[in-house]
Amino acid sequence: MDSGYYAACTALAARTQALDTIANNLANANTAGYRSEHNIFSAVLANTQNGSGSNLNNAINNYGIVSGASLDLSQGALQKTGNPLDLAIQGTAFFAVQTPNGVMYTRNGSFQVSSTGQLITSTGDPVMGDKGTITMLPGESSISADGTISSNGAITGKIRLVDFPASTQLQSEGSSYYSAPPGVATQAIDSKVQQGTLENSNVNPILSMVELITAQRSAESMQKALSMFSSEMDKTATQELPKIS
Amino acid sequence: MFHALYTAASGMTAQQINLDNIANNLANSSTSGFQARRVQFTDLLYQNEKMPGAAATQQTTVASGLQIGLGTTAGNTEIIQLQGDLSSTGNPLDFAIQGTGFFQVLLPNNQIGYTRAGSFQPDAQGVLVTANGNALQPAITIPASATNVTVGSDGTVSVTLPGQTNAQQVGVIQLASFTNPGGLNSVGNNIYLQTTASGNPVVGAPGGSEGLGTIQQGMLEQANVNIVDEFVNMIMAQRSYESNSRVVKAADEMLQGLNQLAQ
Repeated sequence: MDSGYYAACTALAARTQALDTIANNLANANTAGYRSEHNIFSAVLANTQNGSGSNLNNAINNYGIVSGASLDLSQGALQKTGNPLDLAIQGTAFFAVQTPNGVMYTRNGSFQVSSTGQLITSTGDPVMGDKGTITMLPGESSISADGTISSNGAITGKIRLVDFPASTQLQSEGSSYYSAPPGVATQAIDSKVQQGTLENSNVNPILSMVELITAQRSAESMQKALSMFSSEMDKTATQELPKIS
Repeated sequence: MFHALYTAASGMTAQQINLDNIANNLANSSTSGFQARRVQFTDLLYQNEKMPGAAATQQTTVASGLQIGLGTTAGNTEIIQLQGDLSSTGNPLDFAIQGTGFFQVLLPNNQIGYTRAGSFQPDAQGVLVTANGNALQPAITIPASATNVTVGSDGTVSVTLPGQTNAQQVGVIQLASFTNPGGLNSVGNNIYLQTTASGNPVVGAPGGSEGLGTIQQGMLEQANVNIVDEFVNMIMAQRSYESNSRVVKAADEMLQGLNQLAQ
């Protein structure tokens, strides 16, 4: 069979995979603190029979696959809620959260106070401060730009904000949590906390729609190519040619 | 491809729940003492096709993994604890709480319910009850002959009886507050019940050091629903629903194209 058939087939599979990522971005367009993901397409050179092969041979065996999805860490839009326990980060930092599966990081700052007075995320995991978990005193607390919590004029704690080196590969864990390899998180420097504000997801609906249309149309072209191979060429080879006697 | 269909469906379901919640907030925008709720969404689990940081070769690691997210879900609805506007009614038995406290009322099943709706009336025996007939706790009885009822900001209820010049104290309204009022259980009729998430109530007289707030007589607290915010959220929910349905359509058309291939 023509190798182009497999190239088109691979590309079609890649577009369907790309659609999954786009669908997830759009589904999470209203998830506070969600970071969108972008597909990375890359070429894979299939093994040719004679090692390096000719230029033509390389070109027709150069398959396109989705090799990864990169996390878009750009700032999401800030939405004013007025709720004193809604915290948004302006900058690159993440909140640190103590979960049953270890320390996770999140940009979703819609926090609450547990029945025991601990500052917790909406999934119930304690938010980490500079000295372990944070206990909130009754009454209004104000939280300054560097994460310092004060209640009635007295400082009661400080929210831990961490940054990651650019090379860190954050892994999505669901529930707006991300995990990082141990030991890479550093104290955040340039980020600011805003009280009474939530950060929306950074999904760009226009970009997502364009990605969606591109994936769909490009899948259509691959389908066209596939049907060309099967109807025009292979059919001719298997049904028309043998008739000539 | 089949992920995309289910992922988009999860987004549509989530926006449907969002719209349900917005509808309830808007429907209750004239309910005194109503506290708006807000739906919080979280992303679902991820399928790891390729782990971030996995070894690509012996010397290098892949720059970013291939994680396919499986959509979104409505995680919880949080009660917004912002103070609602106070409106003056002139009715001496309308009380508004300026602060974080709740009135305690006795429910028919002898449980204590908590409410911020402070529109009370005397029942046949003169006991102050809510519009649903639940008695304020601790019970306060207004004598039938009372000509004037005064409630201080600290909750002291005093009445003037005919032929007397000095007001007479008939009780003190106590308020309850919770460590996590967002974790209370709404049961309708403006009533909340305590849960393990909300913690146990701290009960005290208004105006004290517990931060329960003060009582304003002749005022009612309006719902803390912000109509403009709700409308913006409604537009967001609708458009987000549309974009998710667009994904369903795209996935469907790609599948259709595939099926035509096999003809």
